[in-house]
Amino acid sequence: MTRLALPLIAVLLVAAVLGIQVAAGGGHYVPLRPANPCVQRPVPPIAPQLEPLAEQIVLIGVNSAACRLGISRERLVLAIAETRSLDPRAAAALRAGLLDAVDRLDREGRLPKVSQLLPQALNQAQIPGIVKTIISNVPASLVDSTIPTAPLLRSTVDELDINRLLSELGDPSQLGSTVQSAILQAALRQILARLTP
Amino acid sequence: MMALSLAVAVVLGDAGVVTLALPQILRDFNAQVGEVAWVLIAFNLVLALVAVPAARVCVRGDPAAATAVGLICFAAATTVCAVAPSLGVLIAARAIQAVGGALVIVGTLELMVNAMGAERTGVRRWAMAGVAGAALGPVVGGLLTSAFSWRSIFVVQIPVALLALPPALALRGRVARPQENVDTLPDRPHVLANLALALLSAALTAALFLLVLLLVDGWSRSPAAAAAAVTAVPVAALAARPVFRGVRAGTRSEAVAGSVLIAGGLTGLALLPGAELAWTVAPQVLIGFGLGLSVDSLTAAALRDRVPRALHGGWTIAARHGGVVLGLAILTPIFTADLRHAETPAKEAIARLVLDVPLPASTKLDLAEQLGRRLAAERGQVPDLRPAFAAVPEPPTQAAAAATLEVNLEDQIRRAATSAFRTAFLVAAALALLALGPAVGLRDRRPP
Repeated sequence: MTRLALPLIAVLLVAAVLGIQVAAGGGHYVPLRPANPCVQRPVPPIAPQLEPLAEQIVLIGVNSAACRLGISRERLVLAIAETRSLDPRAAAALRAGLLDAVDRLDREGRLPKVSQLLPQALNQAQIPGIVKTIISNVPASLVDSTIPTAPLLRSTVDELDINRLLSELGDPSQLGSTVQSAILQAALRQILARLTP
Repeated sequence: MMALSLAVAVVLGDAGVVTLALPQILRDFNAQVGEVAWVLIAFNLVLALVAVPAARVCVRGDPAAATAVGLICFAAATTVCAVAPSLGVLIAARAIQAVGGALVIVGTLELMVNAMGAERTGVRRWAMAGVAGAALGPVVGGLLTSAFSWRSIFVVQIPVALLALPPALALRGRVARPQENVDTLPDRPHVLANLALALLSAALTAALFLLVLLLVDGWSRSPAAAAAAVTAVPVAALAARPVFRGVRAGTRSEAVAGSVLIAGGLTGLALLPGAELAWTVAPQVLIGFGLGLSVDSLTAAALRDRVPRALHGGWTIAARHGGVVLGLAILTPIFTADLRHAETPAKEAIARLVLDVPLPASTKLDLAEQLGRRLAAERGQVPDLRPAFAAVPEPPTQAAAAATLEVNLEDQIRRAATSAFRTAFLVAAALALLALGPAVGLRDRRPP
């Protein structure tokens, strides 16, 4: 028994230390795992401005695209960050994901009206001052009935050259200009569609 | 006697003294982890290979003269280490250090037994000096690296080694030649004790080498903080004998308990619940207790009643340092591969946090750009993300969210690094458990 005392004490000491460590989460101290992209994530309140709206559309869109591709949202984002381009299948998934995002926000009534976004858009747009003045004086109700937000955004997403957009990720001013140009094109199409009998 | 004990401690401490300096050496010579590991491997490998031949020199010649030659060789090579202009020169000098060190270690065994006048006391003093050196080496190395530079580790060793030269020279011709004590062939080496020593040394390598790398590189602690943290091992090793005095029951019992404690401590390091230094203390205490109970007990068992003593001392040194090399050879590829594999989960965790942080999209894009650059620049190493945040000045309204993100990202990096070391610690624990095999086969001899 005396000969066993020391090994037994050793076993008890080891069990006590390991027990405390496991109880405190030892073995689970690992990096955060990517969330399942096919589970809808809650959307925080969106300020009626272009950047927060664009951000939410991109976040939901990337999630949806990752779900379609069967990979995590994080892996898709890292692939975009590393290569600044996507193969045609992934680019199509991203476009479809962005459209899903617009649909979801529209369904949930989270999309701001175009009249709410217009002042900031006009402020940033590189168009003559006189045109800005004319547009800013159009009544909000007319703007919103002529250019509903969801169709405008869907049309914008259709208009976007996904790979060009990704290649401009490192240059926020160029990126903003490309997105604005796509929005403008989409808005013009919307207006022309309304005016065309 | 004190000078000789110090020389033994310095030489055996040299096996791990540069452990905490490795990250600084890595940066100074712009080398890879695998290359820098050779600063440790070269010393231990050569010591393992030349310990027995050096012992034969002592057996056939004068141990005092062999010790003096070894001290001069060790001091000269240490000087070259201190001024090494390249990693290659440093590694070569470390190999020569080991040749001199081997002569010092086996020679001093005879000198210390002679000076003490009793074999058992002399052997125990020699073994304890070795245990203290091996356990304190990384701590002293870390403190010197932190206070001065890695080169100071070698500068300090030179006078300590030379301090033992006068007593060694004074004993020339006064120590009985071991060969003259026997008229038969040398005893066979104690296979079980040496095998257990080799396996435990392999496991202990993990305790010191991996833990230090985890603290300095994985958790971004300073060498001084890491040195203070790993003090728990030598303190517990030195406390083991008095703590367990009442229950000590012989070599086998101590070797078995030591193996269990070292394996348990290493498993504890594999299951850390956080990146706070405090979590490493209890596992280190287990390892220190295991070290204190088993290594000198096994060394004494390997030497007991065997002649020539210096030759068997050489076998124990060969076993211990062969074990260190075995541990490094097994564990280095495991943890470097795991560190590489940890990149993907770490990047995904970083991406998740950046995507979800409540910052404007433009700030997120800038941060992501900078973080991507840091990760690419430090590929293969645990990245320091602070410069990425410094490069993106946020307005005051976003400072709190950015600061929280920075803290959370650092936490993710530490989590990834900690989990990357897990398999290596578990493999080291398995090596310690393997030592149970030979330990159980030992004859139980009551301690003095």
